[in-house]
Amino acid sequence: MTTTILATSELLGDAGRDAAFEREALPWLDDVYRFALSLTRDDADADDVVQETYLRAYRSWHTFIPGTECRRWLFTICRNVFLRSRERQRPTVDLEDGEQDAVAAGSVYAAARERGYDDLYATLDLAPALRDALDELAEPFRSTVILVDVEGMTYETAAQVMGVPIGTVRSRLFRGRRLLQEKLLTVAEDLGFVTASAGGMR
Amino acid sequence: MSAPARTQLEGLGLSSSCVDVLRHLWDYLDDEMTPGGAERLRAHIAGCAQCREYEGYQACFLDTLAKLRAELGAPTELRQRLADKLKSQGCGCWHKVRNES
Repeated sequence: MTTTILATSELLGDAGRDAAFEREALPWLDDVYRFALSLTRDDADADDVVQETYLRAYRSWHTFIPGTECRRWLFTICRNVFLRSRERQRPTVDLEDGEQDAVAAGSVYAAARERGYDDLYATLDLAPALRDALDELAEPFRSTVILVDVEGMTYETAAQVMGVPIGTVRSRLFRGRRLLQEKLLTVAEDLGFVTASAGGMR
Repeated sequence: MSAPARTQLEGLGLSSSCVDVLRHLWDYLDDEMTPGGAERLRAHIAGCAQCREYEGYQACFLDTLAKLRAELGAPTELRQRLADKLKSQGCGCWHKVRNES
């Protein structure tokens, strides 16, 4: 099956390959860049990783299976390029119980409510603060939040990209979200924002 | 969940359904629950003002994160450099890298 697909791909020739590369791979450049930046946390390093990812993808285009998700394929290459560039093994799997973070996020919310910030995200433009908080978030939480919350991937797809079990994606994601919410509450307090209502339904 | 976490939850005086919302709301909002589990959570949230409010808060947070996608992208210099490299590899669509917005 795979052999047939590869043969078909090879029959396309250079023009066909370029057209397919343009159609399937190039539209994801911004996405790959965001992911690379989440891994490297450095603009110049991210540029290098993205460039190597795309060059490698172009050279290995015959291994891309048509009809599969090209973005996932590119992200996987991107992660491998990053790991190789750092000459390090896969990060240690953190098997923290994700539910503890989910419950802890509830406590953050309760604290926010007590101080009158219960509709924090609805009333304030927290996008700049969120960007900063995301920048400061440690790995592997940061790249996991980027994959699921910013890129909109399922836990399963993110797990394939990161090469970890789905449960690890979930626990890293929940930890990342909880840390972000704690940080944002601190920012809101520092800015002195107090919402008019103390509770109730919206 | 660990024993201390369980004790902490019991201390809050929440119903077991409210505790389920605390534990699984993110799975629910991410559409990662089983249909049955999601339906149970949905039914409880519909009838519980406190949980409805918490759902709104968390949904708003995730929405704010998702919107960052539109703000962050590959810089122009990177696009130019990559276009040059692809051109040197004989890639016919190198100019499209630059033209992407």
